[in-house]
Amino acid sequence: MIELNALTKRFGPVTAVDELSFTVRPGRVTGFLGPNGAGKTTTMRLILGLDVPTSGTALVGGRRYRQLIRPLRQVGSLLDATAVHGARTAYDHLLSVAVSNGIRRGRVREVLELAGLESVAAKRIGGFSLGMKHRLGIAAALLGEPPVLMFDEPVNGLDADGVRWVRQLLRQLAADGHTVLVSSHLMTEMALTADHLIVIGRGKLLADAPTQSLTRSSARADVLVRSPRASELAGLLTGRGAGVTPEHDGGLAVTGMDAPAIADLAAAHGIAVHELVPRRPSLEQAYLDLTAESTEYRAATTVAGAEAGS
Amino acid sequence: MTAVASRTGQPAVPSLAARARDVLAFEWVKLRSARSNYVTLLIAAVVTIAVTALVAHTFASTRASLPGGANTALATSFLGYAEYGVIPVSVLAVLQFTSEYTTGLIRTTFCAVPRRWAVLAGKAAVTGGAALVAGEVLAFICFFLTQAMLSGRHRGVSLAQPGVPGAVLAAGFVLCACALTALGLGAIIRRTPGAITAALAAIYGLAALCLVLPAPWKYDVGRFTMPFAAFQVVAMHPQPGLLSPALSMLVLVAWPAAALLAAGLVISSRDA
Repeated sequence: MIELNALTKRFGPVTAVDELSFTVRPGRVTGFLGPNGAGKTTTMRLILGLDVPTSGTALVGGRRYRQLIRPLRQVGSLLDATAVHGARTAYDHLLSVAVSNGIRRGRVREVLELAGLESVAAKRIGGFSLGMKHRLGIAAALLGEPPVLMFDEPVNGLDADGVRWVRQLLRQLAADGHTVLVSSHLMTEMALTADHLIVIGRGKLLADAPTQSLTRSSARADVLVRSPRASELAGLLTGRGAGVTPEHDGGLAVTGMDAPAIADLAAAHGIAVHELVPRRPSLEQAYLDLTAESTEYRAATTVAGAEAGS
Repeated sequence: MTAVASRTGQPAVPSLAARARDVLAFEWVKLRSARSNYVTLLIAAVVTIAVTALVAHTFASTRASLPGGANTALATSFLGYAEYGVIPVSVLAVLQFTSEYTTGLIRTTFCAVPRRWAVLAGKAAVTGGAALVAGEVLAFICFFLTQAMLSGRHRGVSLAQPGVPGAVLAAGFVLCACALTALGLGAIIRRTPGAITAALAAIYGLAALCLVLPAPWKYDVGRFTMPFAAFQVVAMHPQPGLLSPALSMLVLVAWPAAALLAAGLVISSRDA
């Protein structure tokens, strides 16, 4: 379990993490989302005791990371897969990490096998591809068989095979009862992997909810209606208090009434309905809505038609 | 700290000794698993022995008998050593921290051992230990090599003479003192080029600067630098105007102690 309590980190005038409070629970994959520069990595560094918070606390299993004895047996983490010494072999790198926390040497072979790196164990890391470095970093995180795992953008730069491997591994770890926190700036990736989402923007908490409910709670849910007598139907709908927005192609985007109610109303007036589609915004859209205010580096022009997506 | 099994099913708290062993093993595996460290030590050994032999050869073929012959004969053993062995070993020591900072590996290190003083102590023990062993081995090799070349001309000294074993041991320690000073500076500065420059300035630069100072200051200030102090501890007839061999030894301990203390304060308060 990871508990953040009003965690704050300032770098000079910049507040990177702003009064952040949330709890990451075991048994599920918790996605940690936010645009680039939202403070995800800084938050993880604070949890790991690499940076000292300006105020507030981050606890792992009820204790501050810096107070943990043999911390790799409690928390496994991967922040940056490329942060390795290229001259060392994969085996030696893992061995050094293992002995630092009194982890038995046999465990090194086990995690190499788990990560599919047995064949390159004696090779120097300098020659590894990014995908192999990711596997090595994840192997290192799993060395101490810790109950809590934390990965920063673990699928960044991976090929399809690597992405699938990471995804399955995360799901398996959560199913085994681990606490799994995974950061990403890609909503689509998290939609496939995470059971629960924590969304931050500019260091502030924007959402802390199950992945499912994040789409439902979005204000963008509506019903697309197409009818040969669209304007007549629109009048009837607004008369019942529904919100109606005509779309470019003649369709009506209706809010405030669900599909059966719209169908009944049309039938009662003998109006033919050619299309009736309840639309739930994609997670991507829900995410964009949440973070729109807080995007640190916004493109100068927004992509035309992004609104009509989903 | 005693080992007590906690009720939450977590592993028993390991003793302080076990945790110290962990940290030493961590740094030892890292030191021995990077090939460049062996190459550096090999370069240090080859260059040191070669230069020492050259100096001894030149000295042996000089006909004039110099005043304080024993002094010069002993000091001759360590000329190549002090001038050339110190540089590669200091660079190796600097890299123990700077290579981790530049690759980002330092974050793995601090995640594995969150107590930063423990990381510093582990690195100091392993790097300092390696430098001490290398220093003593080289000191004795250089001593025996030089004296073998000089004794043919009846100008050598023997290990049995009073003060000689201490001087040879002290010479070996010089390498360790330089390495630990460099290690501390590497931790503070983090970047390799700057840290190497600072280490060489501390180890050699200050002494070189003192040599060009006017007379009273040359030794008044110079005696607190490492090369002057090193000369005093290996010379059998210490030069007046410098510190005594005992106080010079203290100077050789104070430099790395100060560097490591500053390093500990800096890395434990700085974000990694």
